[in-house]
Amino acid sequence: MRPESSRDDLLRTGAAGVFAGKPINKSHPTNVGRLLRLRWLVLALLASLPSCNDAPPEEPSHDEWDDKLAERVVDYNAALRVAALRLTGELPTFAELKLVATAVDDGARKTVYENMVRQYLTGPRFSRQMYRFWQDTLKMGDDPALDTAPAFLTKLAVEDTSYLQALTATGGTCPRFDPTTGAFTPGNCTNTPQTVGLLTHPGMNKHFFSNLGFRRVRWVQEIFACSAFPAEIANVATDVQGASPYTGTFPFTSIAGKASGGRVDFRDTKSVICANCHSNINHIAPLFAHYDVNGAYSDVMAVPVPEPMNPHAERTDYLPDGEGLAWRHGVPLTDMASLGTAMAADPDIASCAIARLWNWAMGKGDIVDASVRVPPATIEAQVAAFAANGYRLRAALLDIFTSDDFIRF
Amino acid sequence: MHKLGPILLFLSISAAAACTGEIDGEPFTGPPPNPYEELERLQREGPPRYTSRVHGCTKMRYRTLGNVLASRGVLVAATGAETSAGRIYADGAAALGAPNYGARARETIELGLATTSKMFDIFVQAAPEIIAGMPNRIECSGAQLFDPLNRCNADGVSCLLGMPATSAHLQICDQTVARAADVESGKRLAVAVLAAAAHTCE
Repeated sequence: MRPESSRDDLLRTGAAGVFAGKPINKSHPTNVGRLLRLRWLVLALLASLPSCNDAPPEEPSHDEWDDKLAERVVDYNAALRVAALRLTGELPTFAELKLVATAVDDGARKTVYENMVRQYLTGPRFSRQMYRFWQDTLKMGDDPALDTAPAFLTKLAVEDTSYLQALTATGGTCPRFDPTTGAFTPGNCTNTPQTVGLLTHPGMNKHFFSNLGFRRVRWVQEIFACSAFPAEIANVATDVQGASPYTGTFPFTSIAGKASGGRVDFRDTKSVICANCHSNINHIAPLFAHYDVNGAYSDVMAVPVPEPMNPHAERTDYLPDGEGLAWRHGVPLTDMASLGTAMAADPDIASCAIARLWNWAMGKGDIVDASVRVPPATIEAQVAAFAANGYRLRAALLDIFTSDDFIRF
Repeated sequence: MHKLGPILLFLSISAAAACTGEIDGEPFTGPPPNPYEELERLQREGPPRYTSRVHGCTKMRYRTLGNVLASRGVLVAATGAETSAGRIYADGAAALGAPNYGARARETIELGLATTSKMFDIFVQAAPEIIAGMPNRIECSGAQLFDPLNRCNADGVSCLLGMPATSAHLQICDQTVARAADVESGKRLAVAVLAAAAHTCE
């Protein structure tokens, strides 16, 4: 399920580490080209060093950043302020902050603080905050057609059911939510014969409509898998006689090009290697191509190809004859339901959810748009607990807001 | 002229058929990444294994700011005078980084000069309302910001900040009142300064 070489693996190297944390749209070919050129330039420099055959140097076991982490002190007063702002959208009341401040000792303060977080997580304002969080995460909101998607995820959190239903639910994915009362009105989406979590959501498919349905695929990847395309990077690059090598995990010819009868040459290598991103994108996009400009399902593909007269896409525009759909290399798909199932089974999806909640709690920018990475070691315990607790968001939030890192300043 | 048609057709088909950003989402609009700047930033801010474990200082979200103002006694509505805190808040959504989901844009939470300036404008205009209204709010349990001798009150300042006031907070508050041209201006400035300092970062 894991890519042969993940983005994190590459970023751990000195060469690509330069790019860690920078705001760059890697899914854009121009940037991918720049990145690849720089990456190969630095790799070439590294290759010229005598120690190039040695194992990469390990990070120091202890450095100044560890010292800085150790300098943090537990401050439940500050933690309460941040927790209240995030979980209730308001400052703690005078009575609440006095309860924490006047606790007899650190143990009592911890107990009072944790009880307060539990109250926030079950209080009436929590649903409003979750709703705002999901609006922002999904980039969907302030419009009745869009609001049902964040409302659905809010419902999962408030009802404390599995987050993975976001990808697998077969009904009830279009509820209404009133942020002023915190009330939900159940609702089914009626745009599609088969509901698959938010993957078939009408508002999402309308909002992210684009040529060949690629914007929808990008949304799915970035929101639920927490990385921009390319989604997978091979351990060994392939020379395709282009400006730079092909780094995807699928065979280069597994996606369509002019040679296979496609109308867009995804095998083009003249300026950038389109296939680095499209090897993954094209194995998913045909599923989303059946949703039209209004987000309604159509038996025939209903997204345009960027050609004169904007004809509708056909399967051969994405993949050559005989090539099957796939979530990742080696994870085949048959339909949208199988995509939801494959994603739900991918551990990256659960890690992504925790990373997003972590960044929200810690006051950080978006993990993809602002490249605010959360190393797996930072949230290892929370991700494990999330899986063990049935992927329940409220339990995960309690874990995060009472974690050692959250209460230290 | 008759040759222009086929040429344009050829160019348009070539452009459409090429694998470009057109079919890949939003066009690239920013400058190319500068690896030296990124390296410098990493050295200054630390590696992700450090930065991911410490609290950030992001802008207070637009709706949260409205809640905070309202809970401390400010009338947050677009119907007030043009220079009222509520009106500046209601009219200042864009400057305060509010989201634009219609354009698939999240709320801007990075702190910028324009945003912090706008927030300070709001706190300055809100200060008289906070001084008068905060003690009447249930959230503050009657805590007054100033005592009858115009000294800053720890309970009131704590409720304004959302965390217990330290002696440093009270000292700054008292000094700001004492050094102002008049007491009312001093109180207003003290509240604005404390609120801005506390609530610029969420």
